[in-house]
Amino acid sequence: MKKIYQAGILIAAALVFAGIACIQFRHHKPQRYEGQFFGCFDTVTTVTGYADSQQDFSKKLELLQDKLVYYHQLYDIYHTYDGLNNLKTINDNAGVQPVEVDAEIFHLLKLGKEMYDKTEGRLHIAYGSVLSLWHEYREEGLKDPLHAKLPSQAEMDARAAHIDIEKVILDEQSSTVYLADAQMSLDVGSIGKGYAVQKLAAYAREIGMEHALISVGGNVCAVGSRADGTPWRVGIENPVLDSDKPYLAAVELSAGCLVTSGDYQRYYEVDGERYCHIIDPKTNMPPRYFASVSVQADDSGVADALSTSLFNMEYEQGVSLVEEMEDVEAMWVGKDGEIRYSSGFKVDEEK
Amino acid sequence: MVKSAIPVGLKSMKKNDVKLLAALLGLALVAFLGISLYSQLTTKEPQAVVRLDGKEWGRYPLSEDTVVEIRQTDGNYNILQIRNEKAEIREASCPDKICVNHRPVRAQGESLVCLPNRLVVEIENGEDTGIDAGTK
Repeated sequence: MKKIYQAGILIAAALVFAGIACIQFRHHKPQRYEGQFFGCFDTVTTVTGYADSQQDFSKKLELLQDKLVYYHQLYDIYHTYDGLNNLKTINDNAGVQPVEVDAEIFHLLKLGKEMYDKTEGRLHIAYGSVLSLWHEYREEGLKDPLHAKLPSQAEMDARAAHIDIEKVILDEQSSTVYLADAQMSLDVGSIGKGYAVQKLAAYAREIGMEHALISVGGNVCAVGSRADGTPWRVGIENPVLDSDKPYLAAVELSAGCLVTSGDYQRYYEVDGERYCHIIDPKTNMPPRYFASVSVQADDSGVADALSTSLFNMEYEQGVSLVEEMEDVEAMWVGKDGEIRYSSGFKVDEEK
Repeated sequence: MVKSAIPVGLKSMKKNDVKLLAALLGLALVAFLGISLYSQLTTKEPQAVVRLDGKEWGRYPLSEDTVVEIRQTDGNYNILQIRNEKAEIREASCPDKICVNHRPVRAQGESLVCLPNRLVVEIENGEDTGIDAGTK
């Protein structure tokens, strides 16, 4: 009989522990995690996703980081990397020789040229000579704000003589790129990040992430919905930074991307005037039409390119471009705070 | 006749059995309370989590006003201020001052970012606005 009592006690104890384990286990269905890393595209990357454990999620995050580092290096115009022909290699060989490149450079430049045509030159991947001029002045101006200066008209004109996109020669067969003007250079700052995020989202699926939200510096791409089937909600930040209202609107995403271009974060000041990092190829100056423009599209490369382009053109021209394109919507925020939408832009709720 | 195999009363249990049972139940209770309390303490309170280069550097409850200097070995710094249940960067060594110009944050998932210093301050367990990410 004693043995039966003991067995009974053990069973009772086991049941209690099993109960506790059950209660705890309830919280252990794939949990939501968030992770960040720096070092890619001059910004911070945030990934929200689901995994069985922090360890599991960290592993996936590391894979994503490796992938994005690869794209970062390909599209880098400031550094060279051992054994890698990147955009800097192409720029360094401008007027010298064609450079054989990875398919991911080739495809990006092709998309860049397409978007140049679609946006009548507002999206300009061969605009490096002028952009680098502004970049130098902005960096100097941020380091020494009291002596911040603008590039002179003469300097801008001289640089703008070397921005002919027809001189970006893509040879599909040999997979080479040649810049037929020694003083021209590529700068894919307005499209490369978006293109890379699109690829990163596809890669996330490959490594088993069915539900994730990837933001590379506010370039947001959804991989599926949230795990519970509801869409992700992405807030469009309020350009007025001293306002209490963090977001102007929220957009629901179960796929596709949302990208914003704005002048309220990255800028420098000269004599009390702000000059943002986006430069309009038509004027060689920072545009002053809007505080921000957000674009929702299936493809993040397209969304990135368009948000820059729309930022560089008046609303009327921009909205007709958006309406022409399929699966593309946009929201414009004026300098005075006025918000305008394209016809199919769905705002979930203003927050 | 089939006898019930299940013990019917405490009377038939040995003293040691009772002790063992009591000890196990007590242990289970303590473990359960401990885990519940722990998760309550670690997840409920709104706090600002400071990360440097992706690694957690510190966390500060929004309920306590404080000023924290986050100084790195290279001399770069950000000064985080928590006031009125909001977190903001009051001062920083970075050239662009994007972090300083950013509005104070308090809601779930909102963040302050200083790219030059690789610093992120993110709100955890803040008021849930239902926003998963922001685009700027």
